[in-house]
Amino acid sequence: MHRPIMPPQVFRLVLLTIAIVASYFMARWLLTPATFHAYGFYRGEALAEHMTPEPVYAGRNACGECHEDVVKKLAAKEHRTLGCETCHGVSQPHVENPDVKLTKIGDNHCLRCHEANGARPAFIKQIVVKDHFRGDKCTGCHVPHQPNEMP
Amino acid sequence: MATEITNVVIETLPRFEGYVYPNEAGTHPLWGFLIVLYPYITGLVAGAFIMASLVRVFRVKPLEPVYRLSLLTALAFMLCATLPLLFHLGHPERSYQIMITPHLTSPMAIFGFVYAWYLMAVLLLELWFDFREDFVRWSQTATGIRGIIYRAFTLGVTDVTPPAVALDAKLGWIISIVGIPSAFLLHGYVGFIFGSIKANPWWGNVLMPIIFILSAMVSGIALCVFNYMFLSWVRRRQVNMPCLDMMGMFLFYALVIDATVESLDLIHRAYSAEEGFHVMEYMTQQKLFYTFTIGQGLLGTLIPLLLLGTLQLVRKHIAELNRKRMYFASAMLILIGVFAMRWNVVMGGQFFSKSLRGVMSYKLEFAGAEGWFMGMILLSLPFIILTVLIKLFLNERFPATGELSLSAKSPAVEI
Amino acid sequence: MKTSVTRRSLLAGLGGALAGLMTNSLAQTAKAAVKTVFVRTNAPRGYDPSKHKWLMCFDVDRCIGCGLCVEACKTENHVPQGPSYFRTWIERYIIKRPKPGSGSARGEVIVDSPNGGRDGFPPTLVPREDILKSFFVPKLCNLCEHSPCVQVCPVGATFDTPDGAVLVDPHYCIGCGFCIQACPYGCRFLNPETKTAEKCTLCYHRITRGKKPACVEICPTEARIFGDLKNPVENDPIQRFINQNKVNTLKPHLGTEPRVLYANLDKEVR
Repeated sequence: MHRPIMPPQVFRLVLLTIAIVASYFMARWLLTPATFHAYGFYRGEALAEHMTPEPVYAGRNACGECHEDVVKKLAAKEHRTLGCETCHGVSQPHVENPDVKLTKIGDNHCLRCHEANGARPAFIKQIVVKDHFRGDKCTGCHVPHQPNEMP
Repeated sequence: MATEITNVVIETLPRFEGYVYPNEAGTHPLWGFLIVLYPYITGLVAGAFIMASLVRVFRVKPLEPVYRLSLLTALAFMLCATLPLLFHLGHPERSYQIMITPHLTSPMAIFGFVYAWYLMAVLLLELWFDFREDFVRWSQTATGIRGIIYRAFTLGVTDVTPPAVALDAKLGWIISIVGIPSAFLLHGYVGFIFGSIKANPWWGNVLMPIIFILSAMVSGIALCVFNYMFLSWVRRRQVNMPCLDMMGMFLFYALVIDATVESLDLIHRAYSAEEGFHVMEYMTQQKLFYTFTIGQGLLGTLIPLLLLGTLQLVRKHIAELNRKRMYFASAMLILIGVFAMRWNVVMGGQFFSKSLRGVMSYKLEFAGAEGWFMGMILLSLPFIILTVLIKLFLNERFPATGELSLSAKSPAVEI
Repeated sequence: MKTSVTRRSLLAGLGGALAGLMTNSLAQTAKAAVKTVFVRTNAPRGYDPSKHKWLMCFDVDRCIGCGLCVEACKTENHVPQGPSYFRTWIERYIIKRPKPGSGSARGEVIVDSPNGGRDGFPPTLVPREDILKSFFVPKLCNLCEHSPCVQVCPVGATFDTPDGAVLVDPHYCIGCGFCIQACPYGCRFLNPETKTAEKCTLCYHRITRGKKPACVEICPTEARIFGDLKNPVENDPIQRFINQNKVNTLKPHLGTEPRVLYANLDKEVR
């Protein structure tokens, strides 16, 4: 005579609970990505994935290798705080293959920084365009690499 | 070229006043109609369950006719609770990750477990203990698909001797007791999801979980009133007036407490007038006038308070038909009002900038995964499921047996 | 008697061995996976995140609002061009003079950020004589010590890196938007193409190769200062910045402990 350990409805429920909990932990074990918890609560691989895209801009140190003289000129004058790509734009294709020409700088690129704007701090020289322009482009009178000199 | 033109067009449309962070200046809110729907549905679940536990735990006898209907309502809405979230996610196919690698500092991750616990360990279990005897008896006479369903839900246990049935009642009672804090946890957590966001002063405060729980109670009871009256009307049965009066009483007092705490929140904000108060006040007056002042305040709170309060004071002098009309009207208004409250919380938090200097105007699409249309479908789905559940488990051809059945105690009603 | 003891101990031993095997194999698998990660993904080898701690700082007085940084960031990181997707942006603050006789110290504050400042700023309509103070404030992820965004992510898709950045894993993010709501600084957005959260990564792919973030490379006035707190270089700009300035952070009352420092920050900036 086999007396049941517990009432049948409870027994079935206990079995069901164990089955659900066990399958949950099984699913966790199977589906957690392999590199999770490598560095913290995230996929460790994500850290490496963020490192892989190729940089678009060449960076400030990339131009001096070939254009040392220009870099020296710039370093002496007011525009020393600029990077080359600040005006010349993305230059990485040119660094990789010097035959590739840089995109032409727009004639009014200088105004991006030098146009008079009520909010601009005073340390940067600013002009009101309609009172200043005497020609079609800034480079007619100014040399970007040596701002104080005439062309 | 096309992108530039689009940019110009988008920029000249007045999408905001004052200053908003650039990332806030989009055309659509991040959390839209679906996220308004989700706390609404979980709130209805919690409230309907509390209505049921009033019968089983607090032994409020007049409410017995509505006991099973409340539980089935809770189940029908519970099954649909996660759907708005799923439709809203950028990657619903990755939603399983919430259970596999739950980040335990996130209220959203904890909610996955609270939901699973509530659905399985509370709702389904209580339903099973209550219906088990009937499943066994019904499966003996039912044929076809219905018979298969009943037999499946017996889980193979066919013991319906008095000791087994008594054990069912006892275990069901224990589950109900466990279920009350679980119901508070279920909807309190949704409130905490908003209340935990300190970055947003409209959401991030201590009263948020409490307000959510209280308005959930109110909306759940109102839904039970609506369902009960609607079902009685469909089945051409008389409503059990003592039951309805009792529901109305609980609804009234729940609404009083809810309105008090919500008013406390407003009064406290206005009084302490912290940094973001002025932009939030402006936003409420401009963007939320219809949903807040009219929807939540007037329609959802003031008018039901007056109707239900009158019913509490002078119930004896009001004819039965008029009482039924007043209960029904109150229930409908409250359901609309609580929806408006969810709208005001979710959308209100997104209508002003975190810079505290501007307010945004967003478009809410009609079509699409996050639009009104999808929202309407998701809101009607629980009612469809409830209809199926009623046809299966509250069928007049398969009456309930046992203590908590109606045919035994209140012959005037057969629901 | 003898049999049951042996059987029990055998079962216990087997169970223990199985558990050990499972956990040990898990740990081995994880370690091996991390090793292969760098090989498979072509990441710069030899970069150890624990040996660096990156920081970005701002000198508000030096920002001229040219917006070239915003444009550079969009170019470098292929950020969608729409009007509400910015990993970094510039805000212009114009504080007007108080009305004469009003008794106020300062007048109305007007803040704007047309298209994030990407194309520069159009001249303000406020007449010059009405302006008491005005300045530009660049903004981006504040690299919080107690990031609220990381705290609320339900799946572990956004995280603090050992070297001081806060990143989003676009292959794991489910697009719930919780982190975007939780960031007090508005620096996150939902990418409409990938449908995942996105934000400033400090140009992680650049700094791990010894370059600087694109915005720092482009900035013409050294308003953006970037460096490695664990490996200061000769005449390190971050060290100079910290030594020379009284600094401020954004929204300190929220307890996020933002690491990004601002020098010369006005009280009106939120």
